[in-house]
Amino acid sequence: MPRAIELRSITKRFGSFVANEGVNLAVERGSIHAIIGENGAGKTTLMNVLFGLLQPDEGEILIDGQPVVLPNPAAAIASGIGMVHQHFKLVPSLTVADNVFLGMEILKGGLIDHAAQIERTAELSRQFGLKVDPTERVGLLSVGIEQRIEILKVLARGARTIILDEPTAVLTPQESRDLFETLRGFVAKGMTVLFISHHLEEVMEVSDTVTVLRHGKEVATRPTAELTKSDLVQMMVGRLVSFDRRPRAPVAGERVLAVEDLWARDDRGLHALRGVSFDVHAGEIVGIAGVAGNGQTELAEVLSGLRPATHGSVTLGDTSLTGLSARAIRGAGVAHVPGDRLVRGVDRNASVSLNLLMGRQDKAPWSRGGIIDRGYLAQQSKALIERFDIRTRSAAAPVKSLSGGNIQKVVLAREFSGDARFLLVDQPTRGVDIGATEAIHSEIMRQRDAGKAILLISVQLDELIALADRILVMFAGRIMGDLDGGAVSEERLGFLMAGVDEHGHHVEREMTS
Amino acid sequence: MEILERLFNVALIVATLRTTAPILLVALGGSFTTRAGIFNIGLEGQMLLGAFFAVIGTIFSGSPWIGLLCGVAAALALAFIFALLVVTFRANEVVVGLALNILAGGMTVSLLKAIFGTRGSIFGHGLVGLPVVRIPFAKEMGWFGQLISGYTPLVYVAFFAVPLFILFYNRTKLGLYIRVVGEKPEAAEALGISIAKIRYTASLLCGVLAGLAGAHLSLGYTTMFTENMSSGRGFMAVAILIFSAGDPKRILAGCLLFGFSDALSLRLQTFGVSSYLVLAVPYLVALVALFALSYRARPRIIQETLASMGRALQVKPQSAVEPPALAREP
Repeated sequence: MPRAIELRSITKRFGSFVANEGVNLAVERGSIHAIIGENGAGKTTLMNVLFGLLQPDEGEILIDGQPVVLPNPAAAIASGIGMVHQHFKLVPSLTVADNVFLGMEILKGGLIDHAAQIERTAELSRQFGLKVDPTERVGLLSVGIEQRIEILKVLARGARTIILDEPTAVLTPQESRDLFETLRGFVAKGMTVLFISHHLEEVMEVSDTVTVLRHGKEVATRPTAELTKSDLVQMMVGRLVSFDRRPRAPVAGERVLAVEDLWARDDRGLHALRGVSFDVHAGEIVGIAGVAGNGQTELAEVLSGLRPATHGSVTLGDTSLTGLSARAIRGAGVAHVPGDRLVRGVDRNASVSLNLLMGRQDKAPWSRGGIIDRGYLAQQSKALIERFDIRTRSAAAPVKSLSGGNIQKVVLAREFSGDARFLLVDQPTRGVDIGATEAIHSEIMRQRDAGKAILLISVQLDELIALADRILVMFAGRIMGDLDGGAVSEERLGFLMAGVDEHGHHVEREMTS
Repeated sequence: MEILERLFNVALIVATLRTTAPILLVALGGSFTTRAGIFNIGLEGQMLLGAFFAVIGTIFSGSPWIGLLCGVAAALALAFIFALLVVTFRANEVVVGLALNILAGGMTVSLLKAIFGTRGSIFGHGLVGLPVVRIPFAKEMGWFGQLISGYTPLVYVAFFAVPLFILFYNRTKLGLYIRVVGEKPEAAEALGISIAKIRYTASLLCGVLAGLAGAHLSLGYTTMFTENMSSGRGFMAVAILIFSAGDPKRILAGCLLFGFSDALSLRLQTFGVSSYLVLAVPYLVALVALFALSYRARPRIIQETLASMGRALQVKPQSAVEPPALAREP
């Protein structure tokens, strides 16, 4: 039987940069095939080539054994390939059914037949076990359901091979499990699933075959059953990396940060924080887990002074931080590694050394009498670049010329080199590859051992389990549980993240303001 | 009471419909571009050019209908240049729109001078307006007949276009695609809908309506062309489009509000109120309406502004005592 998809020595260049170099990929019909690799390994480029979004410079594409040319996505769709992108492409003001049939509307007398579209969507949803209400407006739905709509869109176009780009990045563990169930249902119906990921556990759990990409080249293609997690990591990174829980000595320090009954509103004016209370002690890493959008962003913004609290207090040692400006809070001894480094962490156009200076440009010995001490800055920049292993051409290079991981190291170098007692660290390894992640984790551990109090907010559970001494789970603006980082299971975290409490009761999300 | 009766009567409603029609036509045209995600500030110029060439076409052909076509063609040409610069060459929409407005203003003045050797305005020269539509039996229907009969054709076109626009955006493919391109271009792109094609189509459809609006000004609303006779209607349409987000129902509401205050101010002049003051009424009404609506629509900006102002003014508390500004949650 011919293979569902075969790519032969695909090469794709962007200027002098080679994104894919002679990549071969053979996908058997009726299988779940995972493509795994670090950021920048060329996974998405390869899939865009297969979906007709990019044209390969060399190589050929075979579908069901037939050579094809895919000049655009429409051609790929016509050959039975569908793609669920990492960033959903749904129109919020339209209904589920309108979104599913967008571009292939059912017409009656020249007008769109909404009733027929709703009926067809309901039919597809039943047939493939993807539960949605076809008449709901997409803007009101959760991310998990949006993903189902994207999959329905692909199915409505008659796809037999479905490409999913990082499908679980936005889902809770339970939602991910549902998705995997759906995908297994697809292959049972004889369809083929191609699945891009850098989450090792998922790949191990759901795929039949794995292809590993590194630096744009195919490293290996093997049946998943023959591999272990550490084999995969080694192939992805090219060397051994440990992701296990970091060993540590207990450090029982005094209380540094006390948060009491904190309330705050989000940008829409709804309550994003609903009475959050916790402490962070010196020499302790407290992790905040939760699906993105459950108040973690607002918590970080309130603690750093970027968003006003509507009620409650924040105290650092004996000093109240409540209502202080961001600048005053920094001055009181809080360092902040923001969740979105390009927006709040760095000035992309400024040099590495100026970014290392920012926030303390008015303090001795960085400046004297309002004039920056260039010599001292140069010397400190050199030392920090070395200590934090920031890979840059020079200290004068603009930050935007660095990779994501190295930009993050610039932020860490600046924030961790001050004399803050409390470190607020938000998504430190988002979009950072495995090598840099390891270095960043080591640095966070060093800060802990030096007696800093650390609040680590992350959507990556393995990161929290590896680093945190205690893990607080946030759901709908509340803290659902306070768990021992050394003894917690991902499953337990997953339930709390989905709003199911210790006793199995589902906590309702309150939408009132 | 007598004054109120003289002020508010059927004639005022009729006047409102008349003054609403030109701005409604141009605003509905602008809804195409607004919904396709283009900020089209060039409505004013397209309208003015349409008005001018409608007059030229009528004088040279003797038929106001051919004049109407000339006006539409001229506005369409300007709309095409706009689309070419904005969609194909990705120039800034505001800069291009302003430039074309200035071009239209200057062009009409210099052509007026070149062709007729005058400045200011042009009438006579065999210029005839569009015929007035007299609905049969309207006379027997009393005040209602007065309300529905006796307008030039484009007034009817403007009002009947509103339900058609609602149908267009909800039930036709092109209408849906225009919305998608404006709201989520990535979605359109992923489905193989050409963003450029849809934006060109929207710009050209907008040109047709702006041309009709211009022709209505010079052949229906009046029978003459005056320098800068669009007198800000295009800009007012842009303002209405911003707060209506291109929705036909809200466009109608906004245009009626403007038309009413315009008609009212014309009325007030006959009562001896200072004309300068009175002429400012529609603009004041529009400003107040815009502010009221955008105040609701943009809570975030205002919230942030107020919050940062509040923080700047607040005395920084040094103790753990709760600052008085923080209220207990319900």
